[in-house]
Amino acid sequence: MTADSSAAVSGSSSQDLPKANHPGVESQLQVNFKTEAGHLLLLLPPQTEVKNAAISWSDTWQQFQQRLSAGKRFWQPQTSVYLLAGNRLLDGRQLQAIADALSEAQLQLKQVRTNRRQTAVAAASAGYSVEQDAPVSPLSQPAAPLMPALAEPVYLQTTVRSGVEIRHAGTVVILGDLNPGSSVVADGDILVWGRLRGVAHAGARGNTQCRIMALQMQPTQLRIADQVARAPETTPNQFYPEVAYVTSEGIWISRATDFSKMSLPLSKPQELP
Amino acid sequence: MSRIIVVTSGKGGVGKTTSTANLGMALARLGRQVVLVDADFGLRNLDLLLGLENRVVYTAMEVLSGECRLEQALVRDKRHSQLALLPAAQNRNKDAVSPDQIKQLVQDLAQKFDYVLIDSPAGIEMGFQNAIAGAEEALVVTTPEISAVRDADRVVGLLEAQRVKQMHLVINRLRPAMVQANDMMSVQDVQEILSIPLIGVIPDDERVIISTNRGEPLVLSEKLTLAGLAFENIARRLEGERVEFIDLNAAYDNIFSRIRRLFRSSSRY
Repeated sequence: MTADSSAAVSGSSSQDLPKANHPGVESQLQVNFKTEAGHLLLLLPPQTEVKNAAISWSDTWQQFQQRLSAGKRFWQPQTSVYLLAGNRLLDGRQLQAIADALSEAQLQLKQVRTNRRQTAVAAASAGYSVEQDAPVSPLSQPAAPLMPALAEPVYLQTTVRSGVEIRHAGTVVILGDLNPGSSVVADGDILVWGRLRGVAHAGARGNTQCRIMALQMQPTQLRIADQVARAPETTPNQFYPEVAYVTSEGIWISRATDFSKMSLPLSKPQELP
Repeated sequence: MSRIIVVTSGKGGVGKTTSTANLGMALARLGRQVVLVDADFGLRNLDLLLGLENRVVYTAMEVLSGECRLEQALVRDKRHSQLALLPAAQNRNKDAVSPDQIKQLVQDLAQKFDYVLIDSPAGIEMGFQNAIAGAEEALVVTTPEISAVRDADRVVGLLEAQRVKQMHLVINRLRPAMVQANDMMSVQDVQEILSIPLIGVIPDDERVIISTNRGEPLVLSEKLTLAGLAFENIARRLEGERVEFIDLNAAYDNIFSRIRRLFRSSSRY
């Protein structure tokens, strides 16, 4: 976005845009994979509306497929997977579909943890080891701490296409392009090793220290904490890796090489003894 | 081993049905047994483009409800008996069938034909889900407009999630003169966003409209138009042949426009 190469910093106005207001990503969880003690945890988001079970399943299934193919390269073959289904109802067919997709990615579904009896029965009859937790009613859940620690970063190798939204309660690293019409909402930083052409929202829980980095910045919109910025109307002829960050005047963007120089004074030079 | 290919786009009016009809005809002319499945229930068009409307007796709906056998519903093309059409029902809507039913139907057809081409409806709702249910490959058709490309991008994502992994891109209605003048997205611009392999570029041609109205696919005409040739080339590429892309710029090209192209930013879109 730096229009001419000599300009170290090129700001993008954020005056005429409303402030971004996001409760963080906590409220809408997505399918996620997590490594824990040598095996892989597959976390399914809790089921909220019971009415639209079919729709909610097809959305979850799409997310699952996306995350699976985006993470495939990073997992050891034959790693065992523990499925954390939470309060989600899964029938035998859906369990089978998950297991099949996992085994196609050379992962093995070993255990199912759920607090729904039907899901436990389906999993047991399909031959998986089952751990059934007592159902937790939303009322008796302990209140979440106001500022919970960030989740560990997710690393996805994928093209994020139009209509896809990636939400994560931590830093998101994407190896691939973020296409127009897509969005990434992260409580931490966003790093795109590719072209950023969609919407990126870093520090969604309000952390203005968060940054957005991309090899090629052509965003539809950038948001950091409660700040919003558009890309300039004119596109430059050349692109450099750039970093977006919050200053007192809104969101600014610098070339990555200049940014690292700028941030040097922050860490005080060590005095010689 | 027969191939089951869905022709889809997301946006309407970009040329899914035209592409299906022409590719089907071109493949049949190459000596393949081809069946075209119209999955656009309630808004069927494929029979019109092939000029077979008056031969439709049964539709996919009657096959699914068991009122007729699959063979009875198939309409053989009057010019090429290698080509058959399974028409969609016109009196029902897209929710009248389920993905599993279509999947079964398509698999039955795959037993008898080399190619099963499925013409998908526009949109990404139930009708689209039905159309892609049985497919193993996809041809994603788009025009060089940001709206069409945006929708195609969404569709590519959905196809990936449905594990239709083999996808090819068809760019339709390209106007080389407009691309030269920097008024239209170029093939590279489209490819940069969609990042799936390109299988064909079809120039905009008003004879496509004539051919639609006559019910005679372009690839049938004696003197092949550029668009007809482009469709035939796609069919040959599907067959695994290596065919050079037609240089659509040739007529508009000179040394200055080449230099201009070299310097312009390729990523305005």
